[in-house]
Amino acid sequence: MNEAMQAKVPVLSAENLSIALPEGGDRPFAVENVSFDVKPNEVVCLVGESGSGKSMIAHAVLSLLPKSIAVASGAVTVARQNPTKLDRRALRRLRGGEAAMIFQEPLSSLNPLKRVGKQIEEMILSHQRPTPSAAEVHERVQQLFTQVGLPNPKLLEKSYPFELSGGQRQRVMIAMAMANRPALLIADEPTTALDVTTQRQILRLIDDLRRDRGMGVLLITHDFGVVADVADRVVVLRHGKVVEQGTVEEVLRHPKEAYTRELIDAVPKARLDDVRHKTIRPESLLEVVGLHKTFRVKRGWLQPPREVVAADGISLTLHEGETLAVVGESGSGKSTLGRMIMRLTEPDGGAIRFNGQDLRQLRGEALRQARKQLQIVFQDPFASLDPRQKVGDAIARGPMAYGTSRAEAMEQAKKLLVRVGLNVVAADRYPHEFSGGQRQRICIARALALKPRVLIADEAVSALDVSVQAQVLALLAELRQEMKLAMIFITHDLRIAAEIADRVIVLRKGRIVEEGATADVFTAPQAAYTRDLLDAIPGRDFFDQPGFASAAGKIPTARMSS
Amino acid sequence: MDAVRAFLRHPSGMVGLVVLLIVVITAIIAPIVFPVSPWEMVSAPFTPPGEDGLLLGGDTLGRDVAAGVAYGARVSLVIGIASAIAAMVIGVTIGAISGYFGGKIDLVLMRMTELFQTIPAFVLAILLVATFNPSLLTIILTIGAVSWPPLARLTRAEFLRLRNREFVEAALCQGEGTLRIVLGHILPNAISPILVVTSLTVATAILLESALSFMGLGDPNLMSWGFMIGAGRTVIRNAWWMSVFPGLAILITVLAINLFGEGLSDVLNPRVSRRRS
Repeated sequence: MNEAMQAKVPVLSAENLSIALPEGGDRPFAVENVSFDVKPNEVVCLVGESGSGKSMIAHAVLSLLPKSIAVASGAVTVARQNPTKLDRRALRRLRGGEAAMIFQEPLSSLNPLKRVGKQIEEMILSHQRPTPSAAEVHERVQQLFTQVGLPNPKLLEKSYPFELSGGQRQRVMIAMAMANRPALLIADEPTTALDVTTQRQILRLIDDLRRDRGMGVLLITHDFGVVADVADRVVVLRHGKVVEQGTVEEVLRHPKEAYTRELIDAVPKARLDDVRHKTIRPESLLEVVGLHKTFRVKRGWLQPPREVVAADGISLTLHEGETLAVVGESGSGKSTLGRMIMRLTEPDGGAIRFNGQDLRQLRGEALRQARKQLQIVFQDPFASLDPRQKVGDAIARGPMAYGTSRAEAMEQAKKLLVRVGLNVVAADRYPHEFSGGQRQRICIARALALKPRVLIADEAVSALDVSVQAQVLALLAELRQEMKLAMIFITHDLRIAAEIADRVIVLRKGRIVEEGATADVFTAPQAAYTRDLLDAIPGRDFFDQPGFASAAGKIPTARMSS
Repeated sequence: MDAVRAFLRHPSGMVGLVVLLIVVITAIIAPIVFPVSPWEMVSAPFTPPGEDGLLLGGDTLGRDVAAGVAYGARVSLVIGIASAIAAMVIGVTIGAISGYFGGKIDLVLMRMTELFQTIPAFVLAILLVATFNPSLLTIILTIGAVSWPPLARLTRAEFLRLRNREFVEAALCQGEGTLRIVLGHILPNAISPILVVTSLTVATAILLESALSFMGLGDPNLMSWGFMIGAGRTVIRNAWWMSVFPGLAILITVLAINLFGEGLSDVLNPRVSRRRS
């Protein structure tokens, strides 16, 4: 077989693959009649919302499906082998040999008790025959560390996983996957747990390695931005069936199916119209002055405690009816800021002025009364509802605590449920009967039941699928108008900030790096850090993302033709 | 309701439940089956089992062992359940306060709990019962007072786990008071393991009560299994039935409660029950 021929043989192909779910599930098949190929030197993205079966396919490729779930019909071929037909030994050679996989959460994929260098050595030793000498293995590990761009390989190979940052851990995982020069790399949401700037580096690394080695990459993601950045071809999945597949250009520019169109439209995009500028009224509602907070983590007896600065003199003003986005990467202190305003975390210094009072001075009943006007929606809709409390009670409890009668509070709760797009009967159900998006609607209804003046949304849409995310954002935007709410919108996703906010604050390590009107911050960022963040937005060149059009001073259509 | 259905399918848990029900029924119908008081001397002393109309024989004074075992079930169950509830009330209260408020309160309460844990429970129980007059109430309170530390520690751990959950914080932001949050949000979510440990505490309470009665520190007006074993112990080599039958009763009851408790634990622990399904 010559090289040209070789290039055409797919490293992975799925033919009419169906995976059966155990009886009593919500559908008979996790995946139904799915066919696609991954050729060498090609990145194929499997895109879909949660429950679309995309991870199932990845697990089927390496025969990693749970015992109760099996391939019902069709076949997967990986490097000319069918993993379901292989015996244990051959399967072990395949996994980590010809086909390697990396997962979403690098911390839980690494053995916490072993030095990372050893873990990679193990990977080489268990696959390569004849067994290479210790010196060879060591050299190979050093090489791999260098290839995945880890600084100072000599020092890092002796580290334990907990000593590395999230991005470094994912690089170690990639090095491990690369150890035996696989023909196929399966990456299951490899950047979902990472910050945007790190995400960009990791995606770039995967792409570089793909080009160097001509391997096929199956990338699983829910983010169309990521697809636009790295994919050659896309497979769109919904409820276990292929909705559409084709090249990135075809699918993203000219989607044939309504569902694909919907998903692409749901990607948050900058709407930098200037209508919202006029809505800003000068009266300030909430004022944060010089807020300080340092977390001290005890380490050992003799070591000094580790200090993490979450707020280093943060000052901000929230005007009436205004939406202020607080953006930053993990560890920037953005959530702590929201929690300090809610008095859930006690600041070390500074003042929070609201309604002519300093919230920090309030205690007991006075604090309880002040809290009524400030409400918060948390990130995880599964953790923020009491699993043993009916939805109606959850919403009515707040007003009842402030003296509203039960009947009246329930009446109001039902109205709110309808307002956030749920059915009245939802009031008598328990939270586990609802999906993530529905739960987040319930949380919003709960927060609004007290008719607050300020709503803090702490990553309120980050845990949701894009299409649901778009709906919840739209709901928040409507309610903001209706109830004249001022909002502090805490998010790591700049696209969302650009879509909803009037003003943006960029936080880094507890300090405000940049502050200004959304349009200004996104089109003419002053701080280098803000520019980095903007550059890292996935799919920025593809969708009309903030910072692109005006920063370059070109009309977006001119770019599309190039 | 799902939990009940799952329990009905749990084999060893069901065995425990059935045996326990038999013990409970025995306790209830004891006065009907044995209308004569178990203290009454109804036959010649040392009557072997099966003779003279006594199924399980008679004791050193000619009292019916079968009647004693049946009436003893009442004492054991009442004391076991009541003192486990007493232990639960004390333990949950201390654990809840400790876990919810934390800080200095936690420090003081936990050191106190450790103090109780370092003293052997049985020695402390003997001391308490000997100090007060042995009666049903004092025995229940004593067993409760020495059995609460594990429940306090468990409750504290559950409260620490739940205290910073977002739904608890949400309730706080909604203006709900401390008592409301503790009783309405945290406790209902912590109740499963507490119930399991309480059910197992019933078994240890029955053992403690038997041990106290064996030492002659039980309520002198109550016929209990421990007392019967204590009374028959000196003659066990020539009249085995006087100690063996009440001993078997203790063994079977405690075993049944343990099986029931473990079944309950499997059913209420979502990780285990999910694996089974």
